[in-house]
Amino acid sequence: MSLIHLEGVSKFYQVGDQEIRALDSVDLRIEEGEFVSIIGPSGSGKSTLMHLLGCLDAPTSGRMEICGNDLSKASQNRLASVRNREIGFVFQAFNLLPRLDVIHNVELPLVYSGLPSAERRARAEKAARDVGLGDRLANRPVQLSGGQCQRVAIARALVNNPRIVFGDEPTGNLDSATGEMILQMFKDLNAGGKTIVLVTHDPDIAGISRRVIEIRDGKILREYAP
Amino acid sequence: MNIFVALQIGLREIAAHKFRSVLSMLGIVLGVSSLISTLALTTGIERGTRAFMQQVGGLEYVNIVNKEISSAKFEFWNLSPGRTLRDAMAIKATAPLISHVSPELGLGAVIAAQDHSDRKFVRGVFPDYFVVGRHEIKAGRFLTDLDVERGLRSAVIGDEIASILWPGLKAEDIVGRQIRINDSPFEVVGVLPKYERDEEKRRRDAGKVETPSKMSRRWDPFRGKNEAILIPFSTMFYEFRAGAFPLDSMESVRLDGLTVRVGDISKFRAALDQIRAALEITHRGVDDFDLDTREEWFDRMESSIRATKLSGGLIATISLVVGGIGIMNIMLASISERVREIGIRLAVGAMGRDIFIQIIVESVAIAFIGGLLGVLAAIGLMEILKMLAPTENAPIMTLGGILFSVGFAILAGFLSGIYPALRASRLNPISALRYE
Repeated sequence: MSLIHLEGVSKFYQVGDQEIRALDSVDLRIEEGEFVSIIGPSGSGKSTLMHLLGCLDAPTSGRMEICGNDLSKASQNRLASVRNREIGFVFQAFNLLPRLDVIHNVELPLVYSGLPSAERRARAEKAARDVGLGDRLANRPVQLSGGQCQRVAIARALVNNPRIVFGDEPTGNLDSATGEMILQMFKDLNAGGKTIVLVTHDPDIAGISRRVIEIRDGKILREYAP
Repeated sequence: MNIFVALQIGLREIAAHKFRSVLSMLGIVLGVSSLISTLALTTGIERGTRAFMQQVGGLEYVNIVNKEISSAKFEFWNLSPGRTLRDAMAIKATAPLISHVSPELGLGAVIAAQDHSDRKFVRGVFPDYFVVGRHEIKAGRFLTDLDVERGLRSAVIGDEIASILWPGLKAEDIVGRQIRINDSPFEVVGVLPKYERDEEKRRRDAGKVETPSKMSRRWDPFRGKNEAILIPFSTMFYEFRAGAFPLDSMESVRLDGLTVRVGDISKFRAALDQIRAALEITHRGVDDFDLDTREEWFDRMESSIRATKLSGGLIATISLVVGGIGIMNIMLASISERVREIGIRLAVGAMGRDIFIQIIVESVAIAFIGGLLGVLAAIGLMEILKMLAPTENAPIMTLGGILFSVGFAILAGFLSGIYPALRASRLNPISALRYE
């Protein structure tokens, strides 16, 4: 049983009269513990693919199974609950809540899992410590550097112990040294058994993974191991 | 997500935008304070009026009055003996729904004690007068059956009389003293309390002294009670009336007043019918009496209270609705400012329902805080009102009124939160995340 299993998955958008085929019957399997990169130029459909894999959206047609859940025709609520339990996101723009301090940002997914506050606090603290921010718990995002922000985002992505972690251009807003460090964290996570999916337009970054999927015009152009 | 977490988020959001939040609360503050004030004012008026109604005898008080006989039947007029003690006895005997009957004889007389004297109106009454007229006793006792039976020279006087005859003397010290009525000596056996309207009492408590001109200008419904000089009916008859009309007996003398008290107000109509039936016989079928009730008078008072309540409540409701619209406006603005935040919350697993609850809770919290501020504002407003116009019926704030107003504010907050909350909860996570 694959962790991610797509079969003939398509995603169409209606823009005015025009139908845009963002994804066109894609077949894809990703096994537990893999480190996969999805690359392609902008407009290729790689973001759409990530949104589907990340349970942010349901496909227009085709079969989609993620972590054993058939999400082919899933409602927003069902997607939300799978997203909450099984998936962690690390975005290019960090996407932290500016008014919350580090610990509250990290515990955000747990709030929606319905955990009691003491347990939320304990798990968020551990996750923040694991990414080396144990002494920054009461800081707000504006008081942190870009690298620190991204580490908060990683802690948030990991706090609910998901099976898949998505990185959407996670180094895009960082200088190269910090970017290296963040990528190293992804590698370490993968070594620890997490399935990682990186979305990027940069073949160099894709190079750190063990499997690269190249998307062009809504289709998988080719797959290779770097 | 539980409500408590939503509340935390909401309060943090309110605190982060203090000025905006206060602005959006303003409508609710005004609405709640005006609603509470209106309720307090009308409650004050209502209580004052009700107390007044009770003091003047209540709805149970029925006055049996003489009526002009129509000219067509004028020749029958002599057939009727008019209002006499027999009427009172007939009502007592045949009208079980009437609990008390009070016939009275009047006399304009010179009253005197020590070196003070005055012309006043004296009434000869039965003990039932005490109940029908809703009297209380301040010192001594009221007239008893024994006083009437024996024709004793006992007198009960009102507060005003007491202060004219014995200025500065306490009621307890007046009991037992002698009062002369047309030069006949009577013993004061009881003194009535000072009857006054709420507003006068308050004015007196506030230490404001009445100027006489102002006093005389206003109609005082308790003047009759305060200037009462009451002696036994029989004493009145034998002492002052029997000599003037030697043919009259105590039973046949024409009364100067006949009032009754209905025992059970829920059977008011039936009670009136019983009176009519009794008087029909004693008056030999001559239609020369009328029943004067306070129904219409009280109805008018009640309906004016209702009208005040309704119009005040309506205005307050409108301002609360306006306050609700204010909240909705601010919540919509706040949401479009927080699209990205909502996107992030959705991305980490919040469901539409979680977002919905969060916005509703925030909206209700604004309304609730605004409501509490409104309660404070209303308390301040009441104080100012009392200072400006202490003579009117004092506004009375009830817990019920406060709870109702705050509850209404919460409802307004809830209703005005629904639309913004729906909009927020239907945001698509992907476009919300991309929103700049």
